[in-house]
Amino acid sequence: MIDGIQVIDFHGHVGRWDRLGMLDEPARMLHAMDAGGVDRACVFNIFHPDGTTGNDLTARFVAQHPARFIGFAYVSPLMPERMLPELARAIDSLRFAAIKLYPPYTPWPLNETPWEPIYRFANARGLAVILHTGSEPQSLPRLVGEIAPRYPRANFVMGHSGNTPAERDQAIAAAQANPNVYLETCSTFRTPGVIEQLVNEAGAERVLYGSDQPLMDPRSQLGKIITAQITDAAKCQILGDNARRLLRLTG
Amino acid sequence: MTSLTFRPRVPVFDANVRVGDLSAQPAPCRDRAALLAEMDRYGVERAVIYHALTEEVSPVEGNLLLEPWLDANARLVPQWSALPTAASLAQLQALHDQRRISSVRLHDTRVAGLPFRPWAYDHLLAWLNAQRIPVWIPLPGADADELVMTLQDHPDLVSVLVGAHYTHHLQVRPLLARLPNTHLELSRYEPIGEIEALADEFGAERLVYGSWYSQYAMGPMLFYLHHTDLSQEELALVCAGNLERILGPTLTEAEGRVAP
Repeated sequence: MIDGIQVIDFHGHVGRWDRLGMLDEPARMLHAMDAGGVDRACVFNIFHPDGTTGNDLTARFVAQHPARFIGFAYVSPLMPERMLPELARAIDSLRFAAIKLYPPYTPWPLNETPWEPIYRFANARGLAVILHTGSEPQSLPRLVGEIAPRYPRANFVMGHSGNTPAERDQAIAAAQANPNVYLETCSTFRTPGVIEQLVNEAGAERVLYGSDQPLMDPRSQLGKIITAQITDAAKCQILGDNARRLLRLTG
Repeated sequence: MTSLTFRPRVPVFDANVRVGDLSAQPAPCRDRAALLAEMDRYGVERAVIYHALTEEVSPVEGNLLLEPWLDANARLVPQWSALPTAASLAQLQALHDQRRISSVRLHDTRVAGLPFRPWAYDHLLAWLNAQRIPVWIPLPGADADELVMTLQDHPDLVSVLVGAHYTHHLQVRPLLARLPNTHLELSRYEPIGEIEALADEFGAERLVYGSWYSQYAMGPMLFYLHHTDLSQEELALVCAGNLERILGPTLTEAEGRVAP
C-alpha cells in the first residue's frame, strides 16, 4: 500500500531462469514487494507451450499466497489444439484473471491467424490479454493496433510498452487509436522521461505498473513511477486503479 | 514506508553520468546548468561525468569536450577516458601532472579491436596503479575471463565494474570474489533481492550507486536502494561514501580544478 493506494504489479513470472538470476521464491518476491509497498502481483509461466504444465505451476504458486498473487493463463499456438480447452480450464477452474501471450516463442507475428482463437476467447469473455511487445518481428506494437479494433470487448496490454524508443512510439500510437489498448511499464531500458511520455501522450488511465519480477526487482521498476514527473493522481492510476478496473477486482 | 513522493535521505554522489551527444542520440541535457537541474530534481549532490564521444569515437578528443562541463563548484567531477595508446597515455600524464585525475574509464575493449589482456593493457594499468588512480570498466563491453586474467595481475588497482545487467548475473559473484579491489556499480543491476544479497555476502562497501544517466533515469535505482534492508550507514556508503573512498585523496585535488 502506498499512500492508501493498493499497488498491483501487472507483470510477473513463475518459474526459474537460473542463468539470469530469476528465482520464483515466494519469500524473496514478497520481501521485495513488502519493502516497496506492492500489494499484489500478477504472475504467469511462459516456459511450457502446452499451457497446462505452466498454468498448473502458476496455480500452485498462487495458492501459497492467494491474497498476494493473481494468476494469468498462458497458451501457445505452437500447440493449437490445446489452446481453447486450456484457456477455459485456466479461467473457469483455476480462476485465472487474464491471459499472457509471448510471441517471440513462436514464428508468428501477433496479428496472424494462429493467434485469433485466443483473441476471440478473450473478446467473448471480456478478458485482458497482456502481450510481450518489443522490436522482434512477432511482437511489434503496431500489430496490436491492428488487432485491437477487431476485438473491442477484449483489452490488450502491451508488456514493456514496446521496450525501445521506436517501438514505444508505435505502442503509444496504438493506445491513442484504440480505447482497449494499454501500456505496461516494465523494462530494463529505464530511459529518462519514459513514464512522462506514456502519460502525456496516451493518458495515465492507459498506463499500468509492471516489474517483470522475479527477473527484475519490483522496487527498481516501482521507482520509475514514483520518481516520474507526473501528478499523484496519475501515479495512483498507474500503480493500482487501472489494474483493478481491468481485472475487475473488488477486494 | 513508501510514499508517492521520494527524496533521498542520505547524500548522493552518482558514480556514472555521461554527458554530451552520441552521434545518433542527442543528450537531453545540453549544458552544465541543465545537468545540475536534473541532479537537483532527484536529490543528487555530485556526479562523476565522462563525455559520450570518448565512448563512441575518441577518448582523447572526447576528454577535451568534457572541459566546458566543469567549473569550480565541484559538483561535477571529471572522469577521463583512456585507451592503451601513446596519445591517450600522454594526455593522461599531462592531466595527472596538473593533478586533475581522480578516476579513468575504459570503454568496450572488443569494439576498440583490442582484447583486455595483459599484453595490451598492462602498461596502462601499471601506470594507473602506480598513481593510485581507480579505473571504471563497463561490463557490457567486457569479457569476464579477460577481466579476471588482466586485473588479478594488478591486485592493488581499484576498479569499478559498471552497468552489470541481469544477463551478467552468473559473472558478478565470481568477479567480486576473485577481484577483492573491484566494486560493482548498480545502474542496471536489478535481479530480485540481489543488492541485499551482495551486501550480505561481500559487504556494502563493494557496491556503488550510479545512474548511467543519460541512458537511464537517475531516480529509479535511488528509490530502490532506499527501500532495501541496507542500514542507514550502509545506504550512505552505497550512495556516496564508497565512491568518495574510491576516488580518495585525488578527489580533493581533482574536483573543481578546471583547465589552466
